[in-house]
Amino acid sequence: MTYYVVFFLAGFAGSFHCIGMCGGFACALGSDPRGTAATGVRHLLYNTGRLTSYVFLGGLAGAIGQVICTSQGLTVSGSGGDVLDLGQRLLAIVAGLLMIAMALQFFGRLPVLHRVTIGFSGSGFAAALRSLLTVRGRAAPLAFGVFNGFLPCPLVYAFVAQAAGTGAVPSGVLVMASFGLGTFPAMLMMGGVGRALAPAWRQRGVWFAGAGILLLGLVTLGRGVLPAGMMMVHPA
Amino acid sequence: MSAGTEALCSHCLLPVGLRSTRQMLNGESCTFCCYGCSIAYQVKQGRGEESEAAWLLIRLGVGGFLSMNIMLFSMLDYTGTFVGADAKVQPVIHMLLWIFATPAMLILGGPFIRETFLEAFQGRLTSSALIVVGTGAAYAYSALAVFENSSHVYFDTASMVLMLFTVGRYLEAAGRAKAARDLAPLLAAESEMATVVEGKTEWRRAVREIVSGTLVRVRPGERIPVDGTIVEGCSHADEAVMTGESHAIEKSPGSAVIAGSINLDGPLLIRSSGAGNATRWAQICRSVREALVRRSPSQRLADRIVGVFVPAVLLLGLATAAVWSHYLPFDKALLTGLAVLVVACPCAVGLAAPMASSLGIGLLARHGCVVRDPAALEALARTRLIAFDKTGTLTSGQARIVAIISPTADANEVLARAAGLERYSEHGLGRAVMQEAAARGLAPAATQDVRAVPGRGIIGNADGEAIAAGNGELMRELGWKLEPELAERVKAHEASGHSRIYVGWGGVVRAVLALDDTPLPEAFATIDALRRRGLRAMLLTGDLPMAARRIASVVGIGEIEAGLSPEQKRTALDLRRREGLVAMVGDGLNDGPVLAAADVGIAVGSATDLARETAAVVLPPGGLWLLPYAVDVARAVRKTILGNLAWAFGYNFIAVGLATAGLLQPVLAAAVMAGSSLLVVLNSLRLERLPDPSAEGLREIAPADLETAIGDYGNVAVTAAR
Repeated sequence: MTYYVVFFLAGFAGSFHCIGMCGGFACALGSDPRGTAATGVRHLLYNTGRLTSYVFLGGLAGAIGQVICTSQGLTVSGSGGDVLDLGQRLLAIVAGLLMIAMALQFFGRLPVLHRVTIGFSGSGFAAALRSLLTVRGRAAPLAFGVFNGFLPCPLVYAFVAQAAGTGAVPSGVLVMASFGLGTFPAMLMMGGVGRALAPAWRQRGVWFAGAGILLLGLVTLGRGVLPAGMMMVHPA
Repeated sequence: MSAGTEALCSHCLLPVGLRSTRQMLNGESCTFCCYGCSIAYQVKQGRGEESEAAWLLIRLGVGGFLSMNIMLFSMLDYTGTFVGADAKVQPVIHMLLWIFATPAMLILGGPFIRETFLEAFQGRLTSSALIVVGTGAAYAYSALAVFENSSHVYFDTASMVLMLFTVGRYLEAAGRAKAARDLAPLLAAESEMATVVEGKTEWRRAVREIVSGTLVRVRPGERIPVDGTIVEGCSHADEAVMTGESHAIEKSPGSAVIAGSINLDGPLLIRSSGAGNATRWAQICRSVREALVRRSPSQRLADRIVGVFVPAVLLLGLATAAVWSHYLPFDKALLTGLAVLVVACPCAVGLAAPMASSLGIGLLARHGCVVRDPAALEALARTRLIAFDKTGTLTSGQARIVAIISPTADANEVLARAAGLERYSEHGLGRAVMQEAAARGLAPAATQDVRAVPGRGIIGNADGEAIAAGNGELMRELGWKLEPELAERVKAHEASGHSRIYVGWGGVVRAVLALDDTPLPEAFATIDALRRRGLRAMLLTGDLPMAARRIASVVGIGEIEAGLSPEQKRTALDLRRREGLVAMVGDGLNDGPVLAAADVGIAVGSATDLARETAAVVLPPGGLWLLPYAVDVARAVRKTILGNLAWAFGYNFIAVGLATAGLLQPVLAAAVMAGSSLLVVLNSLRLERLPDPSAEGLREIAPADLETAIGDYGNVAVTAAR
């Protein structure tokens, strides 16, 4: 359980990063003239759509991880008696490295990667999505959230890598679900009071998120590299 | 719907063909060739509130939300989350999936269902019928299973297949739009707006409304909409559309500009010299539009195959399901049948040819080469023999003096005297005399009482004695004789087939000027480039054999048939056509019927021919050197089409085989299918990377060869001058 709480917290910290781009969308989603409750529903729908996409990506990544793990017949016996799949170790190494790369990006390193991950957002598709923001009705924010979930975002990539590293569908789903729920508070806030948040605080949040992801990346990498039993083995 | 076959898709600019759909979008009537283009167009154009695009995205988004949830719960179901203690939950989960799946099927499957019905009413089965039948069967089976409390439902398969096809078609259409980006300016030429200046006010007017004498302002980076001259401003222009070569050409007040060229760096004010829709550029654009809607032979073949393919696959899918149901539980057999339907969807086959042809036609049009029909492009790629007309095609069509035979008189004196007469002449040969005199720095001798004798030549008076220049007939009529030595030399020279001007004064013919057409500087290199591409070249001409042989040897052609009437030219072509496809290159003025008789008629240069329908390919004026490039493009297009077809068919056969054997999951099949269409699009887009044609390589070799080749005749003139 603590394992997923970590992701929830990481998601929460990371959501200060989200404020940069997705927060803009959330603000643009604005308020419903029919009252506070309607506004709340509007934002809840948007975030539900986003969460669904994340969780779906998590499940998919988990399934891919599972395929990789089970196709590897080799196992390595750890000193503590635990048996860790070789495929799982490889996945953990790849996922860990990916997360570390994403974390470095949060500190302004690896600008090349930044271009790769953010390059798409200026595309025609993102521009067309904006037209959804102003449409009334319940379906538009939901649909917008769904597409939003697929927009390129280093934070999401990092956690999808983590989900793949778990090597199973349910755990992959749970990783992304905890992360997605972690982003809820900040993103919901954006709809209302969040706009007042000082840029300095935002920057601190981004660093905090970067540090968290870096730590997670190192832990994941360690799971792949270090002998079994030395690390916390996730419950999947 | 029949009108739809003559239109182009609003998004990808390919012919809409048989599965066109018409839609009113934001007050505009749009035609789309497929569902993917409809999505991509709306996503691209979608601005403003409550637009059609927004609603489309909402539908897709909600469909995605539903099918992702279906997929998630199904994945958890498959991985055994709901077993043991949680087994009671399973029927509830299945019910939930059904509740999600029903709207998802309608939202995502709607366009496919509509297309299927529209086509079915016209007695056709298209690929969407396969999708609808397949996913419909999976949904219907699963819905029954929910109520019978069976343990297996396949809502995820049904909704994911639809989702993948939708996303696949969107991505495919987005890729095709890359091709459209290049074609768009060609198609928009006539509806384009130009800034017209009237007094102190400026108006935006459609180009086709512009008449001669209108002042048009063109900003840097804009396309010059009309032919005309510059009144104000200095800039550089890229006239690739006229000359085939991309170069910055300096322009200042008084310079002529051509419609279709790009104004590169300075604002210009242009006075148009003709109507906006009468320019060569407008004609090119009209031709391209007409060419794009025509279907090439390989496309027609592919369409026919697809027409047979779909019902065959439908039967195969049913048969697969029926056969497997003997060995497997019914639901597994049904899934196998579904996989067959999904994987055999012949989308890639339908895409193989039109995109490659359109890209090729667009590529050539941007260099001023007009291809009237995709079929001509395919034929040009397969051509092994190219026949050339001589005059105006391999030669400049303008005579020049190659020899002055004057045993007694000084050559310069002959020229000066002849020029004194010919300065009053309008005749083409007369111009050649003036040019040669000017080249030698000779002033025309003062001549009085000049009178033209129609069909004979020209006579006058100089220094008190009669002087005449013209053909042998004129001299006979005047009763003037050739000097004996001159008569001998002329006799020896007769076999060359040169045109001759007799020049005489004082009652005696003193000299004979030999004139000939000059080969184009790029002719030799062009023929050489064609030969290196494995093409044979031959000369078919109505001129005398000697003249033909001389030009042929200068440009490097070995095979000659001379002295042919247009009828004989056609016969000669027909004879060659038995061995393979033959292209004929002419100037389009005199050899219209011959060009039309060849497998590919290629006209060089004449603007009038753009309007007439004799040649299938029209090169820009002076664009003979573009011929190898046109062959390259044609071959690349054909290679791409064949590659696409091979890929699409080969892939289909293997994938159908795997699916029939039950080795391919339906969702995987859908993903691979969507991927195969994308591959065809990407493969076709590689055509955009073909290098631009360059005249430099051609013009470098040409002049030296030309000098040696005509040097002999130059020497004649020089020796005679001594």
